[in-house]
Amino acid sequence: MLKLVGVETFYGKIKALHGVSLEVKEGQLVTILGANGAGKTTILKTISGLVEPEHGTIHFNGQRIDGEDSEKIVALGIGHVPEWRRIFPELTVEENLLMGGFLIKEKELLYERMEEAFRHFPILEKRKKQIAGTMSGGEQQMLAILRALMIRPKLLLLDEPSLGLSPILVRDIFTTIKDLHQSGVTILLVEQNVNRALSIADYGYVLTTGKILLSGTYEELLNEEKVREQYLGEGKYMRRSKLWSG
Amino acid sequence: MDSLFTGLLQESISGTALGCIYALIALGFTLIYKASEVVNFAQGELMMVGAYVNFFLVTSFMAESGEPTGWIFLSGFIGSILFAVLFGWFLDRIINRPLKDEPVFSVIMATISLSIILRAVVSMFAGPMSLIPVSPFGNQIVAVGGIVISILDISIIVSAILLVVLFYYFFHKTKWGIAIQATSEDPVAAQLMGIAVKRVYGLVWIFSAIVATISGILLAPRMSLLDTSMGFLGLKAFPAAVLGGFGSITGAIAGGIMMGVIETISMGTLSFYFSWIKEINDIIVWIVLIAILMVKPDGLFGVEKVRKV
Repeated sequence: MLKLVGVETFYGKIKALHGVSLEVKEGQLVTILGANGAGKTTILKTISGLVEPEHGTIHFNGQRIDGEDSEKIVALGIGHVPEWRRIFPELTVEENLLMGGFLIKEKELLYERMEEAFRHFPILEKRKKQIAGTMSGGEQQMLAILRALMIRPKLLLLDEPSLGLSPILVRDIFTTIKDLHQSGVTILLVEQNVNRALSIADYGYVLTTGKILLSGTYEELLNEEKVREQYLGEGKYMRRSKLWSG
Repeated sequence: MDSLFTGLLQESISGTALGCIYALIALGFTLIYKASEVVNFAQGELMMVGAYVNFFLVTSFMAESGEPTGWIFLSGFIGSILFAVLFGWFLDRIINRPLKDEPVFSVIMATISLSIILRAVVSMFAGPMSLIPVSPFGNQIVAVGGIVISILDISIIVSAILLVVLFYYFFHKTKWGIAIQATSEDPVAAQLMGIAVKRVYGLVWIFSAIVATISGILLAPRMSLLDTSMGFLGLKAFPAAVLGGFGSITGAIAGGIMMGVIETISMGTLSFYFSWIKEINDIIVWIVLIAILMVKPDGLFGVEKVRKV
């Protein structure tokens, strides 16, 4: 469904992606793991056309999309929930959803989708006239996801949905992501919460400084020593008890 | 005492009319600033160009038919608006789009150059002489009690109210209006919604040119002469926009009207009692502006900006 081949993206003169190749198949939940600054967000931004790759190709459902304008890529069916949610803070909840459905031409369909979104997360219906920026972090994250779902994307890009949320909300968000996946949405998830991300993903890529280091299924990655050491906190440097025992 | 009161009332009304024009120019500033954080220093010149285009359309229509009928003014008006649409679109293409990846400061510098170019181009075409503006209302007045109001002032106030209602409806009830708000809040997120941000900026420049043209058409007959210095009035509307808290539409309107009323009253009644006010009348709005900003640094309607890290 989505295929990146040798993608290189620059920020000015700084190379953020060094030839990234990855694939997301229809119906899959694929996750990209990696430390801060590894380039995870850049991959998503490059896919949705916010930044243009210097080299390499991106195909979506057989169509080449690298270098296209964002609005065209969104129209093809790629929804993107950006890092830190980025809802429109001074618009109401309803207006935020309306913007999510900006590309929907028929008014009835638009309001139907909005009703569906409210059914999905009823608290938002009570708050539909509320200024979105005044809601809690968890509610804002739900709004950001529902906003991206308004156009019924074929592929949903999720950038750190658990960022800045309390543990209970993180659990809720991951349940939502799992539900979405089970209802048939293809998802590309970027997460720092490696354990949780891997536990719901079909396939994972490990990224370091703009390069794909490893890839594999959940089990395969769990068996990789490097992943366990660096991302799952099982490395020798991470054992605090040993520090104390000398 | 009674004459003082009627005098004040009289000045308040004509000040409101002047203020409505400031408000419209300030609205033009605000529209562009809200969407792209660019302060368009050529806003006053856009108004001047609008006034000239209207003048030439009306006079050439009049030369054709000989009689200054209402239809002539109406078609002059419509022609000027059409021109404003094209002009706004053109300015977006030559100023905004080529500089889209440059710092906002470069765009602001470009608008300053634009203002100088526009003044030069207009005096090139129109000649160095000042023109005598035409108005469909002539010097007609209505007298209510002891107060005399010119029809022109009434038409200015009515048009301003109509425009503001129209803009309010557009920004809060239509999809493209909300999309402009969304773009001004977060252009990146707006792009991810499938909003064509480039087109939103184009739209904003077009609106801004339309508002400027309308304010030019309304203002010209209120001045005795029409010349290129009309553009400097844009600078007078600048404190109005700042006073209202740059970026707030309600603020721009309130700020503009306040400025107009203060200026008219200080020129009229106050200068009658304190003759030195006449000397400083041109800067009186700036003095008021500084005084208000000392108490409310974000303007009267501005929202305190808290930037998230």
